[in-house]
Amino acid sequence: MEDTMTSSQGGESDMDCSDNEYYDEYYYTLNDDIDIEQIDPRKIDPEYFEFNCLFEEQVDRLLNETVETLSNMHQISPSLAKVLLHSHQWNIQEVTRKFKENPTQTLIASRIKPPSPPISLTFSRYINCPVCVTSQSFDKFYSLSCAHMFCKDCWTMHFEVQINQGISTSIACMARECKVLAPEDFVLKHLHRPNMREKYQQFSFQDYVKSHPELKFCPGPNCSIVVHSQEPKAKRTTCSQCKTIFCFRCGCDYHAPTECQVIKKWLTKCADDSETANYISAHTKDCPKCHICIEKNGGCNHMQCYNCKHDFCWMCLGDWKSHGSEYYECSRYRENPNIAHESVHAQAREALKKYLHYYERWENHSKSLKLEEQTLEKLRSRINQKVMSGLGTWIDWQYLFTAANLLAKCRYTLQYTYPYAYYMDGGSRKELFEYQQAQLEAEIENLSWKIERAETTDRGDLENQMDIAEKRRTTLLKDFLDV
Amino acid sequence: MANIAAQRIKREFKEVVKSEEVAKCAIKVELLNDNYTELKGEIAGPPDTPYEGGNFVLEIRVPETYPFNPPKVRFITKIWHPNISSVTGAICLDILKDQWAAAMTLRTVLLSLQALLSAAEPDDPQDAVVARQYKENLEMFQLTARHWTSMYAGGPNVNTDCDSKIKRLVDMGVDDHQALVALSSYNWDIERATEQLFS
Ligand SMILES: [Zn+2]
Ligand SMILES: [Zn+2]
Ligand SMILES: [Zn+2]
Ligand SMILES: [Zn+2]
Ligand SMILES: [Zn+2]
Ligand SMILES: [Zn+2]
Repeated sequence: MEDTMTSSQGGESDMDCSDNEYYDEYYYTLNDDIDIEQIDPRKIDPEYFEFNCLFEEQVDRLLNETVETLSNMHQISPSLAKVLLHSHQWNIQEVTRKFKENPTQTLIASRIKPPSPPISLTFSRYINCPVCVTSQSFDKFYSLSCAHMFCKDCWTMHFEVQINQGISTSIACMARECKVLAPEDFVLKHLHRPNMREKYQQFSFQDYVKSHPELKFCPGPNCSIVVHSQEPKAKRTTCSQCKTIFCFRCGCDYHAPTECQVIKKWLTKCADDSETANYISAHTKDCPKCHICIEKNGGCNHMQCYNCKHDFCWMCLGDWKSHGSEYYECSRYRENPNIAHESVHAQAREALKKYLHYYERWENHSKSLKLEEQTLEKLRSRINQKVMSGLGTWIDWQYLFTAANLLAKCRYTLQYTYPYAYYMDGGSRKELFEYQQAQLEAEIENLSWKIERAETTDRGDLENQMDIAEKRRTTLLKDFLDV
Repeated sequence: MANIAAQRIKREFKEVVKSEEVAKCAIKVELLNDNYTELKGEIAGPPDTPYEGGNFVLEIRVPETYPFNPPKVRFITKIWHPNISSVTGAICLDILKDQWAAAMTLRTVLLSLQALLSAAEPDDPQDAVVARQYKENLEMFQLTARHWTSMYAGGPNVNTDCDSKIKRLVDMGVDDHQALVALSSYNWDIERATEQLFS
C-alpha cells in the first residue's frame, strides 16, 4: 500500500538523545536523515503507536485482499468469504482453522447454511409465493442455501425495507425461524435502484469496519478517514485529514494514563454530578494574603497577586514557594484515616470531598488548557508584530510555539491523571503515582509561567524547562500507562 | 407496497377464519376498516394458566411495509404478565421485533401470543414490577394474574379477599384500577399499597 499516509505518533521524547529541540514535527522534518534508528521508539516512548489513515477505497482494497485470500484458499465465492470473515472479526487464521476442523459446522455457525439440509418439494411449473400470496411461474423464484423459495419481487422488497432501516450484513431469509443470511451477491442481484445499491454498500462497509478490530472510523465531524493499526490498543491517534486526536480503542478523546472503561465511568460521573461541582467553575478567587479579588486570565496555576505580589497556587491557595519545593502536595488527596468508623453521613460527605478534590483539578486543567490556547493566540500576534518590525524571523521564534504545544500536551496528560488517581486503590503504588503526578504538575506550572512571560525568559532556560516537563510526563506514562 | 399488505391481510383473514383454532374459539380476528390496516384480535387464555377462562382483546395495526415488517400489536385488555406492560399493553416478543419473518402470518402471531401467556420469559421483561413478582413469588404472581383476568378478561376466578382489599381502597377515594395496580405491585399488602397511593 504505497499510497497510504503513514504517520506515527510519539517518537518525540528523547530521553537518550539530549539536545535542544525536542518535541515537534518541525524538528523531525528538518532532521529526517539523522541516524536515530538504533533506538527502538517502542522502548523510549510509552505512547508510540503506528497507524495509517486510509481513504474508503484503500479500506475496500484492504478488506478485499483478505476476502480474496480466503476465497481462493477454500474455493468459496467472495460473497461467502465476506460473510465468514465478518462473523469472525476478519480473523482469517481463525476462519481457516475452524474451516479445516469442520467446514459444515463453520458454514452453519456463520449462517451460510441451514442447520439441517433443505428439502425442496416443488416440482410444479407454478408456485405460490408465501409472502405476496400470488402464484407465479417457477423461474421467478429464488432461494438461499436453505431452499426457501420466494418470488424475486418479494426479495427485492424485503431487501429495500431492511436497507431503509439501516440493516445490511445481517439480512436473513424470509422464512419463519430461518437464520440463513443473504450474502452480498444475492442482495445485489435483487437490488435494481442505484440509490439502494449504494446505500447497501455503504451500510455494509460500515459494518465491516466496525467488526474489524484493526480498523476505526475517525470520530471527527464529517470525516471519512478510517484508521488502520495492526496493534489495536488504547493509543493516541491523530487523523491526518481533520487532525482529530482520539483513543484508537474506544474512539473517544485520548485519555492516557486512564483506561477506556475508567474514563467512561469518570465522564459519566462528572456529567451526573455537574450540579454539585458547578460552584468550582468560578473564574475569580481572593488573594489569600491581601484578599483582593483576582481573576484568572492565563492557564498557569502559579498566581501572582497584582496588588501585594504574593505568589500563590490557584488550586489550593497555598504559598507558591512551598509548592516549588521537592514535595509538591497540591495534587494529592489526603483521605481521612478514621473514616471507616465515622457515620454514614460523614462517609458520604468524605466521598463527595474526595470526588470534588479530583474533579476540581480535572476541571481546572481543562480550563487552563483553553486559557493557554488564548495565550498562544496573543503570543502569535505579538510575534507577528516583532517579525513585521524586523525583530527576527518566524523561524527564530518557532521555539516558543514548540514550547506552547509541549505545554498543551503535558497539561492534557496531567488532566487525565486525575480520573486515574481517583479510581486507584490506596497503597504504595498510588503514593508513587501521586508523587510523580505532583512532580509533573509542578514542572508544568513552571513551564506555563515561563511561557506567559516568554519574551523576557531566556531561551535556554525555557528549553530546559520543556525538557524537564516532558521527561516527567513520559516517566509517569512509562510507569503507569498500561496498554 | 401497501398493495401486498392488503393482499396478504385479505388472505390471512380468511386463513384465520377457516382455522381449527377458530373452531375451538381459541383465536379470532375482526377487520376494523376497509383498507385492511386495522384489525382486532382476540385470544383465549390458555388452560392451566392464570389466564384460563379469560378473553384477551388485541389491537393490530398493519404497517404499509407489511409483511416485510411485523404488525404492531398490543393488548387492549389489561393483563398482569411479565412480558406485557400492565400500563400500556405493549408486548415484548421477539417475533414482533427482529425475529419477524415475512412468511409469518397473523395466525402465527396470535398463536405465539397465546404461547407467551402459557410460558412467560421473566428474563426479558416488559414490565419490571410483574417480572420481579414472577421470579420472587410465583404463587403471588398467579393469584394476581388470575384476579386481573377476572376483573378485565371475564375470567371466572374471583378472589374475594382481593376484592375486599380493593373495595377498602376504593372507599378511600381511589379508582378501582389504581387500587388494583397498587395492591398488585405490593403483593396485596394493603398498608404499603395505601402508603404508595397517598404519599
Ligand atoms: Zn412474492
Ligand atoms: Zn430460509
Ligand atoms: Zn478525521
Ligand atoms: Zn480509549
Ligand atoms: Zn494580594
Ligand atoms: Zn496548590
